[in-house]
Amino acid sequence: MFRGLWRSVGFLFGCALFFGTLLLALLAPAFMTLDVGRRVGLAYMPPSREHWLGTDHLGLDMLSLLVLGLRSSLYVGLLAGSVATVVGTLIGVYGGYKGGLLDDVLTVLTNLFLVIPTLIVLILLSGSLEEGRSLTLIALLIGSTTWTWSARAVRAQSSSLRARDHVALARINGYGTLHIVLLHILPYLLSYIFMVFILQTASGILTEASISMLGLGPYDSISLGTILNEAIRNEALGDGAWWAFVPATVLVTVIAFSLYIINTAMESVFNPRLRK
Amino acid sequence: MPIPILEVKNLRVHYLTRFGTKVQAVDDVSFKLNEGEILGIAGESGCGKTTLVSGCMGLYIPPLYHSSGDVRVLGESILGMNRERHRKEVLGRKIAMIPQGALNSLNPTRRIKDLATDMLTSHDGGAGKREISERLTERFERIGLDAKRVLQAFPVELPAGTKQRVVIGISTLLNPKVVIADEPTSALDVSTQKSVIRLLFDLMDRGIIASMVFITHELPLLRHVSSSIAVMYAGELVEHGSTEQVIFDGRQPYTRALMGSMLSADPGQRGRKPVAIEGAPPDLKHAISGCRFAERCPSVQGDCAQTRQLLRLVGERHVRCNHAS
Repeated sequence: MFRGLWRSVGFLFGCALFFGTLLLALLAPAFMTLDVGRRVGLAYMPPSREHWLGTDHLGLDMLSLLVLGLRSSLYVGLLAGSVATVVGTLIGVYGGYKGGLLDDVLTVLTNLFLVIPTLIVLILLSGSLEEGRSLTLIALLIGSTTWTWSARAVRAQSSSLRARDHVALARINGYGTLHIVLLHILPYLLSYIFMVFILQTASGILTEASISMLGLGPYDSISLGTILNEAIRNEALGDGAWWAFVPATVLVTVIAFSLYIINTAMESVFNPRLRK
Repeated sequence: MPIPILEVKNLRVHYLTRFGTKVQAVDDVSFKLNEGEILGIAGESGCGKTTLVSGCMGLYIPPLYHSSGDVRVLGESILGMNRERHRKEVLGRKIAMIPQGALNSLNPTRRIKDLATDMLTSHDGGAGKREISERLTERFERIGLDAKRVLQAFPVELPAGTKQRVVIGISTLLNPKVVIADEPTSALDVSTQKSVIRLLFDLMDRGIIASMVFITHELPLLRHVSSSIAVMYAGELVEHGSTEQVIFDGRQPYTRALMGSMLSADPGQRGRKPVAIEGAPPDLKHAISGCRFAERCPSVQGDCAQTRQLLRLVGERHVRCNHAS
């Protein structure tokens, strides 16, 4: 199965794009000085040999801002994705396996959270936090509002697995619930949960970019969203300073796009109905 | 009088559909099982045999619910028992089950050794690794398996007959008092079927299991394995007697029809058209006041469809038919 994955052009292309951006975020500081603490030139200086992506409205080096923003966005995405996946998986697997009233209650709870417009809640929550709006807090807020569809997707799978013969035998033999869930149901769902995690990460990055662009992002950090917000607020578009917003937009798009491609490629390999 | 190993008293079990409709899948079932006995339960598909097994084991998982009645193992009721106690002391230890479709019952992601170890550690948390390993090797060898090789294998590496033996080996690791074998041989070829049945008998002879409930729709098989037979129809026991009585002298019309539909490999049977029971069982979503077999019964009488049929003693066996004699 994994051999099939390595033969998938989409998977390799998606991985190359994603790990390319990840390497840029992780290794760039080793090759260049990331300095956003001092002005290196005038406002909105175009790209040059010294400053490959020009400067922002304060005269700060745009490339340094972009690398730092990329690191923050990836951090938020991965943390939000992890929270949403873990919470959604726990609720989905447990509800799907147990069934009955508990499952009904968890499904109602999930549906309730699902119909709440996440972005509006995030905007209200972020707006209400005057101080301490850190990257971690934003990531946790995103994760705790987007777990719903992970829960629904995992619940459906878990519910179908609980009727499998090997799960029935484990139950008949008196294995504990936790044992059955961890050793007889979760191994079947791992590839699925990993795909859910990928999508949740992509969604986390896009959501962070959206709320940061609206000016409700982290106070203490630079993210791709805050770069876009600064560009809008300081009329980069009007001044023709494309370097202030195009690279950040491209990076957000590339990360989300690469994760979606990886997910689709994995699904076409792991899902026997889609396998060619 | 000795305490029966398994005693089922007026057990009623129902399913609750999404729309709140109650389906009484097992209705007023009673039987006793003593040490060394093998009770065969026969009936057509969908008559409630497997639901009865879940009910007897106290495994009520929604949408299956207990309506009324009791199940006692060695005199102690297992229904209403604390869930953790039920799991540790009843399942696998007092009552074990060999399920339908045992060939898919082994988790393909784990080695046989791990699956068997789970059985022991789920019930005896304190057992050491070495002790477990010795116990598994000893038991697997006793049931005729190459323990060293089989324990290290993944289920996919084993042939069907071995898989079934492994399932039996794991399910009986704790020497249960009753083993409920729910169509344990239905997916096996004839020769493998025989070896699996011989293994179950062997386990009884060696005292590893004390008694057995054997569920199947293969009547010739029951004739060979069971000491008594209970026939189920639409959730009810319609006749319960010794194997000879039920097979050769059934008094309930459904029992007779079921035995009549049995195919035989005897030379005199060649060219004989198989006899099928016309019609279909009733829809249990609706309450049925009279005989459940009335619509299909060749000996139906005017009051059958309205009058409740009670299980009564007819010629030393229990029959649910007011007109049986």
